[in-house]
Amino acid sequence: MSEREVSPGSRGETPRPEQVFFEDPALDRMMGVLLSLATEHCVLRDRLRAIESQLADSGALDAQALDAAFVAGPEDRKDTAAFVEALMRPLLGLQQASGATGAFSLARRRKS
Amino acid sequence: METSERAFQAAQAFLLAAKGFWTTTLYDRLRAEYLQQCADQDRQPETVADVAEIVEGSTTYRYFAWLERHLQSAKYAGRYGLVPFYRQRQAQALETLDASAQDARLALDPGLDMPAYYMATDIHQHPGGVWSEPTAGLVYEHGARTTTPLLGGAHADLHTRFTEQVAAGGTPSRVLDMACGFGKSTLPFARRFPDASVLGIDLAAPCLRVAVKTAGDEALGNTRFQQGNAAGSGTDGGAFDLVTSTMFLHEVPPKVLDEVLDECFRVLEPGGRMVHLDFWHLPDPFGRFLHYGHGRRNNEPYMQPLAELDLPRILAQKGFVDIDIKPFNEVDGAVPDASVWRFPWTVISARKPTEV
Repeated sequence: MSEREVSPGSRGETPRPEQVFFEDPALDRMMGVLLSLATEHCVLRDRLRAIESQLADSGALDAQALDAAFVAGPEDRKDTAAFVEALMRPLLGLQQASGATGAFSLARRRKS
Repeated sequence: METSERAFQAAQAFLLAAKGFWTTTLYDRLRAEYLQQCADQDRQPETVADVAEIVEGSTTYRYFAWLERHLQSAKYAGRYGLVPFYRQRQAQALETLDASAQDARLALDPGLDMPAYYMATDIHQHPGGVWSEPTAGLVYEHGARTTTPLLGGAHADLHTRFTEQVAAGGTPSRVLDMACGFGKSTLPFARRFPDASVLGIDLAAPCLRVAVKTAGDEALGNTRFQQGNAAGSGTDGGAFDLVTSTMFLHEVPPKVLDEVLDECFRVLEPGGRMVHLDFWHLPDPFGRFLHYGHGRRNNEPYMQPLAELDLPRILAQKGFVDIDIKPFNEVDGAVPDASVWRFPWTVISARKPTEV
């Protein structure tokens, strides 16, 4: 069953328009795309770790030669937290390297 | 294609970690920006509207609000959401509940009308609500494990803490747990008071099946579950010396809440207590602003109306005495102005007079 078959409500009605949080609803929708991609990314990362682990267990892969061998439990959670940190830090809107700040526009630079 | 259990768990772990970032880092940033804005503008907001004027245009707030809404939506309804996951395994998942159908502890009422308000909103953004399909109770139980990400596995302890607080006021012998859901609030009472009879009522049969299954697994013989409406439970007047609920009062419209409180009074014996764990009014307007926003974003439209009710006056008008409304610490060290987002946990308790 596809997730598209999930009912938006219990009444079988046409889905209601989603809540809007940004000045341009395009950003609301794009955030949804990003969240889906990020989730898929995490699922794939987990899958890759599982494959690496099984290959190593079977001897098909030299686990020690891998940069990061599969580690279960707390390390996985730490890794996920680090991924989330990197993914979401841009939402804080802070520069990583100091420079010009504020909204970017060249609209008033008519002489150039 | 069916989602593998591993993929489901990996996706849910990601969503939970993202919620953790939202609860801590993003919340902290939002709060810092708000306080800075107040200082820069020399303003001391008193109302939610005052706070909204300062915060709602901020980019950080827009992301905060979006993530609150959509991390929850993805948890329930996304590709790796709880609802599709359990639908895909419905037959297998429901096998675990088969025995509950014949369990003497369970009394279902297939003819019970679901209230209009209950059907109008899918609370917690759970598609179809907690009542409309057989796996809804399993979905709700699974989802509730991560309602408060920072509590993690300690979430269940919240109920134990509440039960202990109630126990400090005396040992009940007949307990009614209103809107008991899948029994997460009921079973701690049954465990804590083994000599008491404990009845949980709820509108949602799929949740009650999970509750009975858990009670059966633990061989708890002192608890029963009944499908019914807390606003008119059908139980005998004066039948209980303790009426309780957990995270229920904010889910009903004010008119229904009025009926629920009347029902509490009716089913309590003279001198009996009611103790509810819920969310109520926050003195800090920024906290209120986020609390009311949470209600809207999480499909819990009656959170704000409850928080704005003058409960002490209403309870007094209904005849209750020993009215006591106080904050509840869900974990050690929880404080209202902590740098992490949290619910305004509140214990609302009162007593029916000995002579009515």
